[in-house]
Amino acid sequence: MTRPLVAIRGVSQRFGVEGVSVAALEGIDLDIPDGQFVSVVGPSGCGKSTLLSLIAGLRAPSSGAVFCDGEPITAPMPRKVGVIFQEANLLPWLSAIDNVAFPLKLRRVPRPERLQAAARMLELTGLAGFESRLPHQLSGGMKQRVAIARGLVQNPAVLLMDEPFASLDEQTRMVLGDELLRIWSETRKTVLFVTHSLNEAVYLADRVVVLSARPGRVVDDVDVDLPRPRSFAMTSSERFGILKDRIWQHIKHAERR
Amino acid sequence: MTGLRSSQAALYLVILAAWELLPRAGVIPRLFVPPLSEALGTLVADRREYLGSLPTTFGEILVSYVIVCGGGILLGQLIGASAAARRMLLPVLRSAYAVPLVVLYPVMMVWFGLGSESKIAFASIYAFIPTMLTAVAGVAALSPALAETARAFGATRAQQILYVSLPASLPSMVAALRLGGALVIVGVIVAQMLGAADGLGYLITRHRTLLNSPGVYAGIVLVLGITGMHEILLRRLEQKVAAYRPS
Repeated sequence: MTRPLVAIRGVSQRFGVEGVSVAALEGIDLDIPDGQFVSVVGPSGCGKSTLLSLIAGLRAPSSGAVFCDGEPITAPMPRKVGVIFQEANLLPWLSAIDNVAFPLKLRRVPRPERLQAAARMLELTGLAGFESRLPHQLSGGMKQRVAIARGLVQNPAVLLMDEPFASLDEQTRMVLGDELLRIWSETRKTVLFVTHSLNEAVYLADRVVVLSARPGRVVDDVDVDLPRPRSFAMTSSERFGILKDRIWQHIKHAERR
Repeated sequence: MTGLRSSQAALYLVILAAWELLPRAGVIPRLFVPPLSEALGTLVADRREYLGSLPTTFGEILVSYVIVCGGGILLGQLIGASAAARRMLLPVLRSAYAVPLVVLYPVMMVWFGLGSESKIAFASIYAFIPTMLTAVAGVAALSPALAETARAFGATRAQQILYVSLPASLPSMVAALRLGGALVIVGVIVAQMLGAADGLGYLITRHRTLLNSPGVYAGIVLVLGITGMHEILLRRLEQKVAAYRPS
């Protein structure tokens, strides 16, 4: 048994909201092995995104600790952890390739080198030929592809995705989901994928972690035993339905409260 | 687009034609508004006098421009970047903005004399707050998401400012520049009209006391020319930085 790539140990997170302390996460323990694709689902406001921001090093947990490759995460570790947000958050004045190369620029990688790396990532995400487009000249799906390329450009071991397809239309998200699986199978990253969509969660992942309503606790950890490569036909299979139903039972109760 | 352009051009032509024809037809007394051609004729005939007033006027505008846009935008950036500073200072600044500052001009003449200093002081104070407020609003409206994204990719605080916040606030800086410049021109001309020994505003007032309407309007045409030039330049600049606006 190799040690987990990402380890979350007894993590709780509290926020002060107008002087009142609100618990967002409580006693989270998770081990994520190298190369696993993990979806995180849960009712609205259960702290899914907070969990990702802790792993991204954007904030520190109130108690407990998060480890990546055995090292405690106290600040962003861009070379180990790549982040993709719900919005593409591209710099509007930079071309697609310069946006992808931006994390390397922050590390003062020489320009020819970083453009070469960025061009490779744009090719991987299916955007060859769009290098010099500005963000406003790209569709929503293409912007998100640029964001994925940017998340991958430093070749991090872990990819954090915070509802990356939530603001896209259904068809685009299905296409991008398959693209993501292709990229994942080519690069074998460890992926943590937060989503509202149970279909998406089951379809993409090896494992679905279900959080409860606030304060978020792990209420179920579902092994997705569907074969790979995944296909659209599987989404109407019996096994898919059973897995989805199991997750839905947890969320249904929480949303009803 | 071209349809819009040509109707706008037509509108300008109608205004200019009305300026020329209504006084000629006797609809508007020539003492109130002389025909455009008469104003232009005076401007050409007395060009020495009018052009001679420009160095002083431009000098005063330029110095105030630097004070207002340099200081106002810099201060606006600083205040805009801090939520605490915004909460504390914005209500005060907004009230100060409501004070009709022109009442201070006589006082400034006492302090700074009849020369350029009082014009610069008045125009700077007059334009400073609105310019700064525009800059504050621009910075405050910046989405924190871009800086947060940069942070996730390892940007230091300095890199966040240099690579994200500053470029993202370029459009609001140009907007502040445009407003500040326009107000500085107004401030200088008004101050010259209220009490000066030189400058375009002073010329306009002098011709008015002599009931020389073509002389007054020759000055007005020149003022229109200055503001028009400023507007065209700043619009070009605005188009240049349009790409920095978040989509």
